[in-house]
Amino acid sequence: MRIKRKSISIKELAAIVSNKLNESGIDAILVGGACVSIYTKNKYLSSDIDFVSAASIKEISPVLLDLGFERKSSRHFEKKDCPFFIEFVSPPAALGSEPVKETNVLKTRLGDIILLTPTDSVKDRLAAYYHWNDPQALEQAMLIARSQKISLREVKRWSEKEGHKEKYNAFVNMLKRRK
Amino acid sequence: MLEGLFGNIIIEKILFFLSVYGEGYPLGIARVFGVPVNRIQQQLKRLENGGIVASRLVGNVRLYTFNPRFPFLKELKELVARAYEFVPKKEKEIYYRIRKRPRRPGKPL
Repeated sequence: MRIKRKSISIKELAAIVSNKLNESGIDAILVGGACVSIYTKNKYLSSDIDFVSAASIKEISPVLLDLGFERKSSRHFEKKDCPFFIEFVSPPAALGSEPVKETNVLKTRLGDIILLTPTDSVKDRLAAYYHWNDPQALEQAMLIARSQKISLREVKRWSEKEGHKEKYNAFVNMLKRRK
Repeated sequence: MLEGLFGNIIIEKILFFLSVYGEGYPLGIARVFGVPVNRIQQQLKRLENGGIVASRLVGNVRLYTFNPRFPFLKELKELVARAYEFVPKKEKEIYYRIRKRPRRPGKPL
């Protein structure tokens, strides 16, 4: 399948790429900002579509080339007139020091997307806030928490294990204030 | 020491450097070890692609640190620190005792 529309949505493109990878026998999990866009119905719009796959870039490349993408760096693909970059983040799929244990499957008319659960997507964004003090990542975590049903108990357990209890409390307090 | 594991001596030097100093930029690391900067850049890129280090721009300088989101960071740091114990004292004095505390511009070193 060739991607022709300039106005393609992040969800549509993620579905096309996921489907194509799946057809080639490659498992990939959607992570990062694209999950935020999907879970918040584009309240935050990412320009990156990040996947984690155990397959090698050598195996992945032909699939992306077939979709009209060009390999721009070791792990990153672009397509002229396409507003999104596709990156294959180095495996394993992890949330801080823990592996991703559970994924969500989003069914779309263009194919299924395997992605982080909303709770893990919050952890993924909070990891960037905890480790880099990135305010955008905190904002994205809040957007997901307000748009989706998440387990705050699980986020709290994970945050404490990561050694960021205080920053978790700041996140929860901001979440309460905005409700 | 860890050269066999990491595939080359430059990676070992970079990991010791980051373990001791916390952060570094390619030219600075290259000067400390007296190796060409492109060799350091090449290996930093390899480590960054693997998610082991992360970089950010500070002014015009790309500064590298261990990637706090690398899932095996604790274990890697422990391994590097353990290997560092075996670095000869003389080598530690040459490469790993560089002044890092602030110094007002104009003051003689």
